[in-house]
Amino acid sequence: MHIKDNRFTRSRPILFCLCLMLSSKLLADEKPFVPESIPGAIAVSAEEVIELILLNPDLVVIDSRKKTEYSKGHIEGAVNILNTVMRQEDMEMIAPDKTKAILFYCNGTRCLRSADAVSKSLEWGYKNIFWFRGGWNEWMDKHLPVITD
Amino acid sequence: MRIENLSIRTVTIIIFMMIGTVAIVLSLFAGNYFRQSALNAQMSSLSRVIEVASQEMLKDVRGYTFDLGMKLGNSSELVNAVKNIEQPGGRENIIALLDDPFINGFVGFSKVNMVKLRIFDLNLKLLAESSMGMTGVESEIAAYISGIIKQRQGVERLKAIDGLWRSSYGPLYSMVVPVGGLRLTAYLEVVVDPVFNLPDIGKITKTPVSIFSIGGEQLNSNEQQDTSGFLPVEFGLLTSDGMPAFRIVGYENVDKLNQEMEKTKIVTTSGFLLLSMMTLLFALWLFNRFLFVPVSRMIQDMKQMACGDLDLEVNKTGLREFYTLAETFNLMADQVRMRTNDLRDSQNRLLQLLDLDDSAILYFGRDNDVIYFNKGTTDLFGYSYDEMSDMDSKDLFADDIECLMKNSVLQKLHVELHCVRNNGDNVKCNAVIHRLDVKGEHGFAVALNPMMNEQNELAEFSAVNRSGIRDQRMDVVEQSLNSILEIAKHNPNLVMGSSTMGMLAAQYSESDDEKSVLRNQCVNIMYTALACWEHDLGKNKLDLADESKIWQVYIDKSTPTTRTLDKYLNIESCPKNPRCQRVIDTAEFVLKKMGSRNTSGQKKLQVLLDELRLNISGMKASSSKAGI
Repeated sequence: MHIKDNRFTRSRPILFCLCLMLSSKLLADEKPFVPESIPGAIAVSAEEVIELILLNPDLVVIDSRKKTEYSKGHIEGAVNILNTVMRQEDMEMIAPDKTKAILFYCNGTRCLRSADAVSKSLEWGYKNIFWFRGGWNEWMDKHLPVITD
Repeated sequence: MRIENLSIRTVTIIIFMMIGTVAIVLSLFAGNYFRQSALNAQMSSLSRVIEVASQEMLKDVRGYTFDLGMKLGNSSELVNAVKNIEQPGGRENIIALLDDPFINGFVGFSKVNMVKLRIFDLNLKLLAESSMGMTGVESEIAAYISGIIKQRQGVERLKAIDGLWRSSYGPLYSMVVPVGGLRLTAYLEVVVDPVFNLPDIGKITKTPVSIFSIGGEQLNSNEQQDTSGFLPVEFGLLTSDGMPAFRIVGYENVDKLNQEMEKTKIVTTSGFLLLSMMTLLFALWLFNRFLFVPVSRMIQDMKQMACGDLDLEVNKTGLREFYTLAETFNLMADQVRMRTNDLRDSQNRLLQLLDLDDSAILYFGRDNDVIYFNKGTTDLFGYSYDEMSDMDSKDLFADDIECLMKNSVLQKLHVELHCVRNNGDNVKCNAVIHRLDVKGEHGFAVALNPMMNEQNELAEFSAVNRSGIRDQRMDVVEQSLNSILEIAKHNPNLVMGSSTMGMLAAQYSESDDEKSVLRNQCVNIMYTALACWEHDLGKNKLDLADESKIWQVYIDKSTPTTRTLDKYLNIESCPKNPRCQRVIDTAEFVLKKMGSRNTSGQKKLQVLLDELRLNISGMKASSSKAGI
């Protein structure tokens, strides 16, 4: 029994390192994807975004990415509001009518900014929310028109 | 070469050497194949690298042209100018806008070689093009690009499209983007010359690169490259519709690869050969330990046993097969030993029986010398054992037996013979002479019985009966002598019971030439010894025979004679198988008697004696070497 204890004591650092490596690996692999859908919001593709923009001139398009990313290229007519700084007052100023169609997008399926912004908007009572889940990555992959500053 | 001349050891060593040679050849072949495979893999790898680098280069070009196209396509000035193209000055306005990037530059201006900007309507009809840049390019948009655009419907038509295509000028790269953003009004084509960017492939692959047009013209000829010692690897860059556009030749520095491969080859080949040699040596040692040594020892033992040393036993220590072989051979040798002992006993008993017989039984060899005689013979003739040995048929019989046998066709002859006794008396005997051939040598056996008083009828009757018994006895004698002589000839050691048998064996073993020399030497020595005896010591040969006790003195009709000694003084009368020891003893006796007189005759006798001894020792050595 004494021997067993000693062995366990000696192997404890190795086990710790193994656990650390495993957890870091899992964390790296499990960088959270955005959900497939957000209740209360309508998920749309790039083509549907274009149709929405063309069919609905009043559509508010909100780019939830950082300003530098926005400057490099964005969807035509998009307004840049970073999700972390987005306040209810700003939203009420852009869209006082809570039934107004609003489209959110960010970098893509690994980016949680637009999902966060959508959740906030839903909390604040907006009813007509569209969520471009594929985001900027999907837009660029399809070589769709971009606006650069 | 006969296979019997090859030993297992030689064959095994030859096989191992062959295996070793094959291993060396294979390792060298493998080394060369390995090198070729490595080169092929290196070439394939470089080809893939060039392909990836080409795609990377095109990706960079795509990025710059897309940015420029989007910037221009979304500019409200260009959109309005396209909308107002039919207005006066509208086309010139568009051309001015399209010329602007050539004049004022754009992001990535130095990264690509833009050769044209063109505007097409939604039906892909050319509306306007920049006045600057390349001239003479086809007015139609590339077939590959136009085909895709025409297939697209709705929102799909907003997507930018690019492609490498072959113009009359050469391969060009085009990026087509919508004008007006999401509200498509026309198409803008950004045309660049990819040759400007192709050298970037070399920067990515970090190897010298030569770019050739399809016509074979080198496009980056301004770059000085030392490609000696490099392995050229070609990659064909295709247009978007799969037509060949450029030939890109990358150069791989194979010197380092060759050095590494050579090093690897030496290490692996040496290691392989070393291991192979060690394995072969170990196998050879194992073979030697478990095969060669036991077999060699076994053969040695078997040879000794074959020479008659049946008490020896073959060494059984060895592998199972050798153990079984040795065990079997030993069993066989035991059987032979038992049979030989039985045979020897039988022979001895037979010889004893013949000695017990009161008849005289003799066997004469091919030279008419007495080869065998029983005790009855010495009793009949009155000679001692040694004296009998020196006799021949003419000494013992007044009749010519040889002539009798020659004149007769019978195998067996019943005759009356006159035997000459030691004291000179003649004794009339009934005799049965029997031809006896031993290994092709003609001889004959004689059974003698002195004739009884003729008046004694009972004795005569008895004699007649005894004659029949002698016939039967002669048959047995013939068979016995045949077998004994046969064994005595091939294996004298086995027949120890009769000294005459050894003599017979010697007779058969010596050639006629050797015997002739021996007889000459004996006669010379005896003649010289007698000469010394008579001249230097003043005595006669009777004194020599009497004093030496070596030679018998006979009394013939009251006259002393030295019949036996006399035979050795003449080559004609000297026995075919002379008694050399007697001659040597006589010479030594004479020399001893002469003491230190040191006469020429004494010296000659000494020399002759030495020569005879030398000859005899040489004959003995050759006889033992022949396994007799």
